Parts: sequence; structure tokens; C-alpha cells
Amino acid sequence: MIKSSTNVIGIIFPNSYDALVPELVSVRLMASIPFASRYRIIDFILSSMTHSGIDNISVVVNKNYHSLMDHLGSGREWDLVRKNGGLHIFPPFAEKEVGGPYVGRAGALANLLDFLKSQKEKYVVMSDTNVVVNFDFNSMIQAHMDSGADITIAYNEQELPEELLNYQTSDKIFYYTFDVEQGRIRKVYINPKTVGVQNTSMNIFVIERELLIELVSTAYMQGRSFFMRDVIMPQLSKLNVQAYKYTGYVARISGMKSYFEENMKLLDDYNLDALFSDAPIYTKIRGDNPTHYKDGAKVQNVMMADGCVIEGEVENSVIFRGVKVGKGAKIKNCILMQDTVVEAGANVEYLITDKNVTITAGKEMKGTDTFPVYIEKFKTV
Amino acid sequence: MAKEMIAMLLAGGQGSRLYALTEKLAKPAVPFGGKYRIIDFPLSNCVNSGIDTVGILTQYQPLELNEYIGNGQPWDLDRLYGGVHVLPPYQKAHGSDWYKGTANAIYQNISFIERYDPKYVIILSGDQICKQDYSDFLEFHKEKNAEFSVAVMEVPWEEAPRFGLMVADENDKITEFQEKPKNPKSNLASMGIYIFNWDILKKYLEEDEADPNSENDFGNNIIPNLLRDERQMYAYHFNGYWKDVGTISSLWEANMEVLDPEHSGINLFDEDWKIYSRNAGMTGHKINEGAVVENALITDGCRIRGTVKHSVLFGGVKVEAGAVVEDAVIMGGTTVKTGAVVKHCIVAENVTICENAVVGAMPDGNENGVATIGSGVIIGENVVVGPNAMVRNNVEGGEVE
Repeated sequence: MIKSSTNVIGIIFPNSYDALVPELVSVRLMASIPFASRYRIIDFILSSMTHSGIDNISVVVNKNYHSLMDHLGSGREWDLVRKNGGLHIFPPFAEKEVGGPYVGRAGALANLLDFLKSQKEKYVVMSDTNVVVNFDFNSMIQAHMDSGADITIAYNEQELPEELLNYQTSDKIFYYTFDVEQGRIRKVYINPKTVGVQNTSMNIFVIERELLIELVSTAYMQGRSFFMRDVIMPQLSKLNVQAYKYTGYVARISGMKSYFEENMKLLDDYNLDALFSDAPIYTKIRGDNPTHYKDGAKVQNVMMADGCVIEGEVENSVIFRGVKVGKGAKIKNCILMQDTVVEAGANVEYLITDKNVTITAGKEMKGTDTFPVYIEKFKTV
Repeated sequence: MAKEMIAMLLAGGQGSRLYALTEKLAKPAVPFGGKYRIIDFPLSNCVNSGIDTVGILTQYQPLELNEYIGNGQPWDLDRLYGGVHVLPPYQKAHGSDWYKGTANAIYQNISFIERYDPKYVIILSGDQICKQDYSDFLEFHKEKNAEFSVAVMEVPWEEAPRFGLMVADENDKITEFQEKPKNPKSNLASMGIYIFNWDILKKYLEEDEADPNSENDFGNNIIPNLLRDERQMYAYHFNGYWKDVGTISSLWEANMEVLDPEHSGINLFDEDWKIYSRNAGMTGHKINEGAVVENALITDGCRIRGTVKHSVLFGGVKVEAGAVVEDAVIMGGTTVKTGAVVKHCIVAENVTICENAVVGAMPDGNENGVATIGSGVIIGENVVVGPNAMVRNNVEGGEVE
């Protein structure tokens, strides 16, 4: 083995935290939410794994996964078409005893036990998709091996997003912060309401495959679903659980507001370079033509993908592929997803349009920075 | 399993009239229209017309072209049976030869063509910007019971002497071929796109090869021989957009025409006839505060802080604050630094134009040259590059005419 990571398999949970963005996941899941003008959120973690040499990746889907299947295809765009390994998509199958799809990370992994047992790699890395990062898994795996940990979990130092603090605790959504002592996680807090910067879990795990199989099998027999809450937390003194501090750029999607803000933040070149400079992020190629700014276009502070035709004014906005902006239309502080059409003379501010939305000629619509207006897929306003 | 028609794409020409642009690059690999290369057009036409087997004949500077074509996946030409194949000249048991001419290039690949046992072969050229449905052309060829058909364009009579001309009767049957004649009898210019019945093509290629005096060229040898033998030869009228981008000025012009699809007729935004290209995988482009962008094509990876007017920018081009780009074609990875002025020119890939340099000039009287900067060149601070300049090497100071 030339690189440590070729001895690693990746597992991605694309549905985690869906409930935080109910509007955006009505026709998709967290992983396939469009982000940064031409990507889906999963592109970041998938490309990161590919760049780290991980080429055996499983995506364990739970529901609403058509858009993700369409996006991932064979995995070719992430260089994941392989004879050995490559990309696997695991749809849920109803458990014999319970019926209905699984619950929680441990539940998802229990679905995968046979697959995990049949693999040969020594390590497993696992990640959700609500955190947008250009992540170097190699350094984390190296840190895991150096520390002799049983499990290593990545975190970053940040304030908890407002949406998490305000979230009405249910038994479905858990977020975690850590007390870290000399690199070891001593305490895990579930859904804390603490304000200020803290060690916030990114839910990126490194663990040996054999240990994972053992932990998940036990949890499954005991009917436990949540890996962090039910498996790791009760065993913090028994298992050596190390914290891996990530200092790179992190965009955490915790609701509509943070989705809006994290897109807007990338209009600052400093943030854009921080997220993209390490390695390219791959995505599904649509084969769009270049964007055409026609006479009459006035554009300031905009991030835009290919395939757009702009005849109006666009300011402080993130524009996805194939968007059309008609003559005299004004767009300010907006996120316009793929193939949105803003007809002539329309005037919109603080708007998030989902795919294929049409804003008809002359229409005026305004949200606010704390409450951007969201318009669902295929809707004509 | 036989294929009805396969394509052979002539991509070996040096393109010497593109000078600095083709110094290290085969002409078909020259970038065009913001995110394409010239060869994307015939390849996309093939796929859109239902042709799934394409042989690309390369000879001159094939490295970048080969890498670009790869396994053909961006054009959907990665097929189990067929697909795209790059065909350079190769050594054989009895000697080896470069491709001596267009006909010889096909002759040397007869065994490639026979693997697919096609009924028809279409010969394409890799230096044209054109959206054409080859299946319509084949339909015509079959209807006429032709053995050979050539796609022709009507050109203005005064320009006719620059072309190879087909003289045809009212049934489009070709009666005469004139290569760049002083006194044209026709204004039907050959586009260099031919459909042959394979048995006929093979016969004439073999005969041509046996003739020691032949130049092994389609225009000079094969077509005259077909005429001599009174073969069934027909002219297929094409009236869409077609441009031979073999010169600096025609390449510049064709790029500018992309900015005006309503009038020029080349529409890259056609959902029904997409042109495919290999994607560079860059982030969306950024138009920063203070930038002015008017009638421009801009693509992934660009960062614009200065002024861009009536120009075509390729992937990853940076235009710094205070820089001005007008009527220009700027290829991938180039940086135009603060205060630089770039006008009416073609700037190749990965060029750096330093602070306050001036490249090219808007037409003034009879001075309307298109300045050209070769790839990787650094134009130093305050350097002035004149409107007719052809820059191949770094310029540190002064003026270049």
C-alpha cells in the first residue's frame, strides 16, 4: 500500500439532518441540496474522499433519494467507477423484525453488516453531508493511527448556529459538542443550548472496521439506533475516543437561514479560496455553454455557474446553472437554483428559488436577510 | 455486427496559419467559444447524428489532443463496440510512413474501418465550426443512390475563386470539380465533408496508393478520379452556420459571432443540438464589486474585477481591477493584471499580461489586425503589443509590432 487511505472504506449518510431544512428536502435529501452555484452538498465529502485516495465508498440512503441517485449515477465524475470498490448506493431494506426503514446511524450500519464483513480494508471513515468541507481524510487517518485511538471524531471550534439553539428538541435530530482533554473526548453534550464558541462535532469518524462491526452488532442486538448517543457516549471511559480538530473552512447547513448565509459567504473571495483551494470539487457535468452576459446586463458581486443568460441586473447573489434573467429584471441578495427564470422587469430580493422556478414579468417579491422567501421546485410566481 | 456509417475525422493538419496558437497544439485542439475546442463540433455533430464510431487521424502535435479526447466519455463516445479511436500513423511489418495526404491517412487505416464493416464512411475535417446533422446528409446520399456525396455551401460569387467548387446539374449531380479556379463555373464550395459508399472509397484509395504520382489527397486525386470514372456523385446543400477557422482573423471572428447568435447564426445555446466538451471542473465564476461586464461569454473559474466588453473568456481567466478587456478572445488560465488594456486580439492559454501593458488595438482606418499572444507567454509591465503582433516569447519591455 502506498498510501494509508487505500486501506480505508468510506461511508456517507446523506439523510442526516434532513429535518433541519424541510423545504429544501421536500423533493430530495440533505446530500443533494444545491450549493455554491454548481454543486450538491455531497460533492464536497465525495471529492474529499476521492482526493484522499479512498475509492471504496458506500452511500447509505434512507428516503427521498431519487435526486441523489440521479446525481451520482455510476460515480464516474468522482472517479469512482472501479472493478474493486468504487461507489455503492445502499437503499434501505425493511428489517425482518421491525419493518420500515432503519433509524439512526447504528441502524443504517446494521443494514450494512454483511457488506462490512466482506470488505478487506482495515479502516472505515464515516461522514454526514450537512457540513460542507474540503477535507483531508489522510491527515485525520494519520492522526488516528498515531494516537492509537479506538475511534477518532472530527470537530471544529464554532458557535452553534442559531437554528440549532432554537431547534425544538425531538428524538430525531441530535447535534453534539465535546469536552476535549489532551486530545481525548471526555464528555459529549447532546443538543446543548450553550452559546459561544465550542467544540462542535462534524460527525466525521475514523474507526477500524473490525471494531465498528463489533460495536454495531452489539448495538443492533440491544435495539440501539444512534451511534454517538447509544454506542460511543456510554463507553467514553472504556474506549479511547480521540478528537480531531479541523481548522479548515466549514460551512454548516442547519436550516434555511444558514443555508442562505453559507452560500452568501462564498461571495467573499477569501472564503471561496479557503473552501476550494486545496483540491477541486467534482460534480455531475451538465454540459452547459458558457454564461452569456448580454447588453444591458449589470452584475456586481455575484457567483455564477455556466449556462446562464443574463440581460438584467444581478447583485450579491449566487446563481446556479442555466438561470435566465430577462431585460430590466433586478435581482439582489438571492439564491437562484438551476434553470430558474426571472422574466423581464421582475424585481426580487432575498429570495431562494428552487429548481425550475419561474418569476413572471414585472413581479415584485421581497424577503428579508433573516427570513428569505423560499419558492419550491417547478413553481411559477 | 456491421455499422451503417462510421466517421473518419481528419485532425492531423498543422494549422500553420494559426501561427503561435498551434505551435504546440494540433489545430482541432485549439480552444473556441469559451469552453470548447474546435474538435468538439464534429464530435458532438457525430453523436447528435447517431454516429457512434469515430476514428480521429492525428499526426501533428497530438499530445494535448489525445489527452483531451481520452476515452471519449464527454461526447458519449466511450462504447463497448465502436466509440472514439485516436489513429496516429504507425509502424507496419513492411516499413512505416507518416500520413502523406488526406487520402493516404484513410488508406493507412483501412483495417480499422473494416473492423466495423460499414456501408458508408463519412470523412470530416477537424478545423470547422459548424452544427450539422450528418443523418440528413446520409439520407440525401441514399435517396440519390450516390456513391459519393459532398456537402457544399453557396458562397458569394466574388469569393468563389478561393474555394474548391462543385459544378452540379439541377439534380445536384456533380459534373465538374474546380479547385480554386480563376473563372468559377459554380458558387458551391466544398466543405470538405464527404460521404462515400465504403466499397467505392476502398477501391479508389487502393488505386490512388498504387499511383506513384498521386499526392494522396481527396481534393486533388480521389475526387478527380471519381469524376473521370463518371461515378454517381452528388452535392448536398448545407445552409447553416459554417466557418473554417484556419486563420487568426477567422478564428477571432467566429468567436465574436458566438456573442451575437441572433444575427450570426451560431447558437451554442441550442438545447436540441448541444456541443459537448471535456469539463475542467472549476467553481462557478465570480463577478466582483466594481466589475463591468457587457456582452461577454464567461465561464467557470473566472474572476472578474475589471471591465470586460464584447469578449469571450475561457475557464479560470482573471481580470484584475482597473484592467480593460474589449473585443478579445482570452483562453483558459490567463491573467490580465491591474491597468492592463487588452483589445481586439487573441490571447492563448496561461498567459500573464502584467500591470499597465497594452495588447492589441481597436481597428483604426485600414489597421484592423488581430494581435495574438502564444500560450504561456508573459507580457511585462508597460509593454505595448501592436495590433498585428504575433508574440511567441516573453516580452519584458518596450513595444512589439
